[in-house]
Amino acid sequence: MSVATALPGRLTFGPIRPRSRRRELGLLVLVAVALVVGSVSLGATRALAEGSASFAPWDPARLVVYLAALGMAHVAQVLAGRRTDQVLLPAVGLLGGLGLLLMERLPQDLAGSAFGDSLGLAGVQLVWLVIAITVIAVLSIVVRSDTWLRRYKYTWATAGIGLLLLTFVLGEEANGALLTIRLGPFSGQPTELLKVILVVFLAGYLSEFRPLLISESTRLGPLRLPPLPYLLPMIVMWALAFGIVVIQRDLGAALLFFAVFLALVYVATSRVSYVVIGLILLVLGGIAAYHLFDHVRVRVDIWLDPFADPSGDGYQVVQALIAFARGGLLGTGLGGGLPLVGGRLPIPAIHTDFPLAALGEELGLIGIMAILGVYLVIIERGLRIAAAAADDFRALLAAGLALVVGVQAFIIAAGNLKLIPLTGITLPFISYGGSSLLANAVVVGLLLALSDRGVEPPPPPSRSRGRFDRLLRRSTS
Amino acid sequence: MDPTIATIWVVRVLFLALLYVFLFGVARVLLRDLRSAAREPVTALGRLRVVASEVDEPSSGTVFPLDAVATLGRDVNNTIVVDDPFASTEHAVLSFRGRAWYLEDLGSTNGTFLNGSPVDGLAAVAFGDELQVGRVRFRLERVGG
Repeated sequence: MSVATALPGRLTFGPIRPRSRRRELGLLVLVAVALVVGSVSLGATRALAEGSASFAPWDPARLVVYLAALGMAHVAQVLAGRRTDQVLLPAVGLLGGLGLLLMERLPQDLAGSAFGDSLGLAGVQLVWLVIAITVIAVLSIVVRSDTWLRRYKYTWATAGIGLLLLTFVLGEEANGALLTIRLGPFSGQPTELLKVILVVFLAGYLSEFRPLLISESTRLGPLRLPPLPYLLPMIVMWALAFGIVVIQRDLGAALLFFAVFLALVYVATSRVSYVVIGLILLVLGGIAAYHLFDHVRVRVDIWLDPFADPSGDGYQVVQALIAFARGGLLGTGLGGGLPLVGGRLPIPAIHTDFPLAALGEELGLIGIMAILGVYLVIIERGLRIAAAAADDFRALLAAGLALVVGVQAFIIAAGNLKLIPLTGITLPFISYGGSSLLANAVVVGLLLALSDRGVEPPPPPSRSRGRFDRLLRRSTS
Repeated sequence: MDPTIATIWVVRVLFLALLYVFLFGVARVLLRDLRSAAREPVTALGRLRVVASEVDEPSSGTVFPLDAVATLGRDVNNTIVVDDPFASTEHAVLSFRGRAWYLEDLGSTNGTFLNGSPVDGLAAVAFGDELQVGRVRFRLERVGG
C-alpha cells in the first residue's frame, strides 16, 4: 500500500505527464528570431559608428544564455505538464530581451555596485533576468494551491507594513526618494515586493467582504455608500499612500498602490461611487501635497513646463522629449541613439526610469506601439485568467496582479512622455534592476499558477462573517 | 546609396516588423481563446458544486448551474432537491439580487449553515463560500467568462 492511500484526506496528484505547449514554443521561436535580428541590427549600427562594416550580432554570448534560459523554462513547463497559460512567458521574454539589448548598448559603468563593476550593466541585468525566469518557471510549476496566500492575509499585511517601516527607517536616499535598503553588498527596493504583498492582501480582504461592500445602506446625495465602517479601508489605504509620499517621497509607488487599490475595489464591487470617492480623495491629497511639500511641487512644475529650467530641474524630461522627437516614426535603429553629450549621457537615469525614452529614440513610434502592445497582452491574459477563476479570491488576485504590472507600465510610460508628472518607478521587465525584475517575475509566476484551473479545490472558508451579516441585516431590513 | 547603410536599414525595419509578427502571433492565440470561450455562452449566474454529501441525491461532485433564484429542500419541486431526512421540505433559498448572492433559511428544522455558522434570516454569500443543507455541503462557484 502506498503512502498516499494510507493517509486519508491527503491530496494525491496523478502521475505527472509531459504536455506539449506548441503555442508557447511557436511564440518563443518568434521572440528568439526577433531578438537575434535586433542583436544583429545593434552590432551593425555600432560597427558602422566605429567605421567598419560588420553584421556580427552584438555580444552573442549573453543573448544565447538568455534565450537558453527561456528555452529551459519552456521545457520545464512541458515536463511539469500543467495546463498553464502559454502567452505570458513569451511576452515577458520579449520585454526582458529588449531590456537586455538596451543594457548592452548603454555605458557599462552605469551599474554602480560591487557586482556591477566586474559584470557591467548588461552582465548584472542578465544574471537577474535568468533568476527572474527561474522564479517564473518554479512558481508556475510548484504553486498548486493558493491556501498559503488566502489564509494568511493579515500576516501578509503585517509583513508589508513592516517592510515599509523598515524602508522609512533604514532607507537610503536616491534621487530625493527613500527607496533603497542596503544589506552588506546587497541592496534592494522593498516597494517592488510590497506591491505584490498589497495585491495578495487586497484580494483576500475584498473577497471576504465583497458581499458587504456591495450592499448599499448609506446615501450621501447622489452617491450610494456601503455601511460606513467599510469605508475605513479606503481611508487607511489613502493615508498609507499619502504617508509614502510624505515620508518616503516616492510618488510613483504611492500612485501605483492607490490606483491598483481603486481598480481592485471596482473589480470587486462594480460600483462607480467607490472610484469617484477614491479619485476625489486622490485629487484632494494631490493638491494638499503640492502646497505642502517641495518635492511634489518640483515634479508638478517640471511637468507643467520642463523648458522653464531645461538644464536644471527639467533636464531629464526635456532630454527624454528630444529623444522621442529624434526617434520619429521608425527610430534611429538599435545602437543609433544617444550620442554622449559632453562625455555624459543625456538622460542620467536612462536604464531605470527612462528606458522607454531610449527605446523610443531607437525604435521610433512603431517600436513603442509594439512594446505597449505587449504590455496590453499581459493585462489581457491576467484579466482572462481572472474571468475564468472559480472563486472571488482567485479572480481578484489574478486581476490585481495583472493590473499592478499594467498600471506601473502606464505610470512610467506616461511620465516619460510627459503625459503625467514623472515619478521614479521602473518599467516592468525592461528597466535595469534586480528588485523590479524579481517582483514582476513573482507576479507572472503566480499568474501562470493561477491560470491552471482545478488542480486543487480551494479550502473551505474558515471564518464566518456572522457579526457582519447581522449588521447587513439591520441595514437591509 | 552605400550598400552597408542600406542593409542596416533593412535589418532595422526587419526587427520592427518581427515585433509585429510576434504581436500578430499572440493576437491569433488570443482570438482562438476568445472564440472557444464564446462557443460556450455563459448563461448561469453561478454554480453550486456539491463538495461533500452523505446521501445519493445530490451525490458528491454534482454541479448545479444557477438561475437568479434557486430553492433547496427535500420536496421534488425544489430547484435543487436534497433527498436527506435531515433537510426540510422547503429548506432554504439562494437568490441573486443586483450584484451578489444571498442565502435565506426558510424556517428549516435543522438550519442552514454558511461557512459553518447558522444562517439567521438573510446572509450575503461570496463566491467560494460553503453552505450546508442537511448533511450536504455545497460551494458557490463563479462561472468563468
